[in-house]
Amino acid sequence: MTAETGSTSRRTALKYLGMGGGTVAASALLAACTGVQEAQNGGKSGPFPSTPQWRFVFVNHVTTNSFFVPTRSGLADAAALLGVPEPQWTGSENGNVAQMASAMETAITGKADGIAVALTDDNAFVDLTKRALGAGIPVIAYNASAAGNYPLAYVGQDLYLSGFRMGQRIAQKVTSGDILVGISQPGGNNVQPRLDGITDALKQAAPGVRVQSVNTGAEQAGELNAMTAAYTGNTAAKGIYAVDAGSTAACAKLIADRKLSGKLGSGGFDLLDDTVTGVKDGALDFTIDQSPYLQGFLSVLYLYLFRLSGTLVAPPVTDTGLTFVTKENVGPYATARSRFEGGDNKDVLAMPGSIPLPPPSVLSR
Amino acid sequence: MPSKPALLGVMQVKELSILLVTIAAGIYFTVTSGAFNSLDNYQTIAQYVAPWSIIAAGQVMLLICGEIDLSAGFVFTLAPFTMMQFFVNGWPLWLALLGAVAVSTLVGVANGLIRTVLGIPSFITTLGMAFLLQGLVLIISNARPVGTPKDSGVLEVFGGARWTEFLWALGVVVVMQVVLSATRFGIHTQATGGNPVGAAESGIPVNRVKVVNFAITSTLAGLAGILQGTRVGSYDPTNGGFTTMFFAVAAAVIGGTALLGGSGTVVGAFLGALLLGIVFDGFNLTGVSANAFNVVLGAAILGAMVLNVTLIVVRKRVGSRERT
Repeated sequence: MTAETGSTSRRTALKYLGMGGGTVAASALLAACTGVQEAQNGGKSGPFPSTPQWRFVFVNHVTTNSFFVPTRSGLADAAALLGVPEPQWTGSENGNVAQMASAMETAITGKADGIAVALTDDNAFVDLTKRALGAGIPVIAYNASAAGNYPLAYVGQDLYLSGFRMGQRIAQKVTSGDILVGISQPGGNNVQPRLDGITDALKQAAPGVRVQSVNTGAEQAGELNAMTAAYTGNTAAKGIYAVDAGSTAACAKLIADRKLSGKLGSGGFDLLDDTVTGVKDGALDFTIDQSPYLQGFLSVLYLYLFRLSGTLVAPPVTDTGLTFVTKENVGPYATARSRFEGGDNKDVLAMPGSIPLPPPSVLSR
Repeated sequence: MPSKPALLGVMQVKELSILLVTIAAGIYFTVTSGAFNSLDNYQTIAQYVAPWSIIAAGQVMLLICGEIDLSAGFVFTLAPFTMMQFFVNGWPLWLALLGAVAVSTLVGVANGLIRTVLGIPSFITTLGMAFLLQGLVLIISNARPVGTPKDSGVLEVFGGARWTEFLWALGVVVVMQVVLSATRFGIHTQATGGNPVGAAESGIPVNRVKVVNFAITSTLAGLAGILQGTRVGSYDPTNGGFTTMFFAVAAAVIGGTALLGGSGTVVGAFLGALLLGIVFDGFNLTGVSANAFNVVLGAAILGAMVLNVTLIVVRKRVGSRERT
């Protein structure tokens, strides 16, 4: 009797263990897939000597956000081009700074060969950056930067400047009255500088314009509600603008819903589908492209060259862009579904017959 | 045979199976990653484990008496900002810290009173409280992070110096386990969840037990929030929240606490948090990227629980055979 119970329990145990084993096997399979990719990327690229399999780590604040899909394509492309394994993409799904800090710490203890981090917080990454550099691990800031930290370089949009240029552009169209400006996270390192830039530029170029900021929150449905409510409360507004991707899409949708196209000024940032459609249909005057692709691609390139040259090729601070997307040049954004803007199209894209003029060049003195 | 009772004793330790699973996870990552067994990495794991296990120590008490606190994650977020609010208004730092912990306690008392006096289920009470606190945090902080005060001896003890956060966690776990298993209050807590009607009829102040447990959970959550923010060097309105709360509850349940009340241990919850911390850190260390991360994490948690349940079954079988 006892023996029988024993054998049953052993069988049950084996069955359960088998299931557990299945899970282990599945994760091993996942790991194996990565292994195959790594094997394809040799260890040598073009004119460069063969290198160890350098492991770069990207620490991000919203790892699963669609904005960063092109960034991930960019870092994967650069890694494939240079013959290093595809960098790890980690951090937090919802902007949790403590979780990002832990991910960066893990990268340091795991002896990563380079770290790219979005500095969304002024204080949390200072000691970590120092520790990484102290351990011989190069650190680059991408997408968001912070004062008082020590990354070798920043690869991303100059946020204040982008807001300032946007303000100048607004002043060409609106010279008096109120404008509404949607912002997803007042005070956030990655959006507030843009709002400050707009306000400062308008003070110089169109002092009659009053900026009314609208706190829209980070959820897309809520952003449309907030913008709609703000406009309903101030229908005399001369313009509807935004400084983050979601709020810009909300502006486009609001203008289309209320049939306000052409009646007031409008514009914003980034290239969500609704935004691109809005620019194409004339709901938005412009949107600003900050090239998330380059933020991934160049970060990997810089880390690679820095290591390869034993620090001789120091990474330069790179403003990844301030491209105004308007009705004239929106064509390829709307139709190409390009890998460079988050689509899956890897084909060569045709050049347009003529190139619209960018803003005039300015020399800093 | 002298070994028989000893074996029986070991087999009867409730936390044995989860301990074995945790050790197995440790062995797995030791084999797959060279950097896993290093002091620096132990510290990273400790940083994951500390906040979860501190909050879980309170949640275990609440779960045992048949309640849950969904707002604990936002008390965690709020406490550092309450502290800074007091601090910038001229309070000495130690007093500001004490004040922030006291405010956290009051939140718990409010939760408990709404639950027991008005009879609103804790799920709804604390869900409402969670959103209320989240909004409060955003208003106080203006949705932007604040740096920790520099060069403060007080904060060195509360998370500033290396390992202090984890030492606090260990202390909390030990104290709460003793409270649960060796005091009259702990026994009342177990009775309240195991058999509410019987407990009330035998003279246990069921409602008071619940209010105190809400207060304990909230106090611990506030403490954990201050510890983590100080360790990171920045108090951030995105820290804590529902994610942290759910990891704490998950740690408690993985560690053997019944979701419907009646039984559980604080040490088990600590081991649950340790398992989650090892898995979280380990997969990051071995280079799993974000999209695949949750798949692997989820599979690992499911796998660990299947193994855990299996071990419990085996343990009980062996235990009953030894006895006969």
